[in-house]
Amino acid sequence: MPRPRIDRLSAVLALPLLAAPALSAFGLRPNRIAQPQALGWAEAFGAPTAAALAAGTLLLVVALLLLRRPGLRMLLLAAALAGLILMLGRGAAILLEQAAPAARVSPGLGFWLAAGVLVLLLVDAFARMQPGPAPRAALLAATLAAVAALLGSGVLADLSVAAEFRLRAAAFHKATADHLVLAFGSFLAALAVGLPAGLAIQRHRALRAPVLNLLTLIQTIPSIALFGMLIVPLAWIAAHVPAAAEAGIRGIGMAPALVALFLYSLLPIVANTVAGVDAVPPAVAEAAAGMGMTGAQRLRMVELPLALPVILAAARIVLVQNIGLATVGALIGSGGYGTFIFQGIGQTATDLILLGVLPTVALAFLTSAVLDLVIASFRMQPP
Amino acid sequence: MIEIEALTKTYGGRPVVDGVTARFARGTLTAIVGSSGSGKTTLLRMINRLVEPSAGRVLIDGKDVARIPEVSLRQGIGYVIQGYGLFPHWTAARNIGVVPTLLGWPRSRIKARTQELLHMLQLDPAEIGPRYPHQLSGGQAQRIGVARALAARPEVLLMDEPFGALDPLIRRQAQRDLTRIRRQLGTTVVLVTHDMNEALYLGDAIAVMRDGRFEQFGPPEDIVRAPATPFVADLVGETGRALRLLALKPVGTLLRAGQAQGDPVDAAASLSDALAEMIWTGRDRLPVVDGRGQGLGIVTRDDILAAGRQAPPA
Repeated sequence: MPRPRIDRLSAVLALPLLAAPALSAFGLRPNRIAQPQALGWAEAFGAPTAAALAAGTLLLVVALLLLRRPGLRMLLLAAALAGLILMLGRGAAILLEQAAPAARVSPGLGFWLAAGVLVLLLVDAFARMQPGPAPRAALLAATLAAVAALLGSGVLADLSVAAEFRLRAAAFHKATADHLVLAFGSFLAALAVGLPAGLAIQRHRALRAPVLNLLTLIQTIPSIALFGMLIVPLAWIAAHVPAAAEAGIRGIGMAPALVALFLYSLLPIVANTVAGVDAVPPAVAEAAAGMGMTGAQRLRMVELPLALPVILAAARIVLVQNIGLATVGALIGSGGYGTFIFQGIGQTATDLILLGVLPTVALAFLTSAVLDLVIASFRMQPP
Repeated sequence: MIEIEALTKTYGGRPVVDGVTARFARGTLTAIVGSSGSGKTTLLRMINRLVEPSAGRVLIDGKDVARIPEVSLRQGIGYVIQGYGLFPHWTAARNIGVVPTLLGWPRSRIKARTQELLHMLQLDPAEIGPRYPHQLSGGQAQRIGVARALAARPEVLLMDEPFGALDPLIRRQAQRDLTRIRRQLGTTVVLVTHDMNEALYLGDAIAVMRDGRFEQFGPPEDIVRAPATPFVADLVGETGRALRLLALKPVGTLLRAGQAQGDPVDAAASLSDALAEMIWTGRDRLPVVDGRGQGLGIVTRDDILAAGRQAPPA
């Protein structure tokens, strides 16, 4: 009888997955800044249900070890993940019924471990199907729809982060708008400046080293220092140029954060524009000139289209970087999700920190995934 | 007709092309032969002004190219380079149509012209037209490169090592295609190569270039029979010169009246092919026919041997 072949990644991850039901599923706190008390599944659902969950986990592990077809694995893992999240929401509701009014319930270590392993295996199963852009787009859309349904359904409404959100819905929407303006506004400005600059230094080799060195130098300045350094000149401009002050430019707030993110965005855009145009094969460039294309036609018809995937890769780097860095802008009053993070740190309120961190991570992930898709769909076409 | 007058290009004071004067007749193919660094590519690129001369000038049909705007000059000259430089993000058909597109031809006319060129180069438009360059074989890519250069019906075609990247079998086919197309269109061609065999096979005239100058410029027969310098002699090769000479001339040039036995030879075949046939079949004369198989006369071994003999000292 042939020995069944065991799935290796599942074997490695079997132990943490099996251990997860035994670890704390929930953290219960009497109020939003108190220390959490670790509770297991049994405390919310009773011992029989907890035992059934552990048995179900064992079955899942065995199935994962033996099942090799990626499609089946994905279905199984998605079902397990959905079940886990539903149980988290239900458990939080049960625990809150028995607790004091100000009490909060957050996910515990066991939940995070199980969810992390399931997501990892899910991504692995999907990657094994070697999906093209279309299935990837479909999965992204399905994930977004699932997350939206989950948040809209109220299943997770009893979790502490959701409670924190309800307290600050208006501030959250304002922060979202500010964060998008910071990350995407600075990117668009950097694109408007960096693309022509990159094309210019690609043609004039003598300018290359100085420009790229300067931008690299800017990149090495720590973000907090750069935000701070910009306060002085921008405050001076606001004081001496009335029009600038009317446009909202001040030493603190949105303006210095936008400028700092803009400066950080320049290096990837300029460097990749140069690299992308440099990578146009010499014979192709020579043919374009020899066919009688004008400089503008060469740029539009040949150089930019061929450099586009490399420039899009820069856009991805810059946007993900900006979405993360924009949180630091909150220190100088720029708004955005960072506001919650720094307030939360000040109050030692984990839920408030998470209210800033989770949407930042989600936004960065979404942006990266969408741009990956765009780049992949360009790569599908030659070259 | 292309006239080159005292054409010079210096880089950092060093001449790469050094006062070359020559005239390439309308409808002929001139092969410029030389090793790398001889200045042959620079000379070629001064004709379509990808390189601006330091001194001297180039005239095409009597017009100084320096007075023609760069872009319209280049749109009127076909250009084929080593590696072809096909635009990798465009289909073969769109590559071929690039100059007509730049010239603003209507779409239907570009499409018709593209199909016509693909047919002329013996490529199936429906199959090859929609392919991207990375989906083409080397021979197909080369033909697309030639088709692209010919798309706007240029009077002049410049070719820089156009067959350099092809393997020998496909190269010979591509060279034959070029000869056929050239006869069909009457285009004036200037071709740069480092391969003397290629030059002898294709050229109506051959310029041997070294250190920025023409060492010798003349019909292939002169180059083989009377090399002007030891360098040219070296390129042609001391041994086998007679056979090279015979390879240049068709049987039709030595026709005689008479009768001969056995398989006939085509009047367009080279004398060397006829000689080889005589050696192989043990005959000293062959019947000669034209392309339709009509008898024209005979060719004799003695005549062929005489044609391959060194010219008597003047």
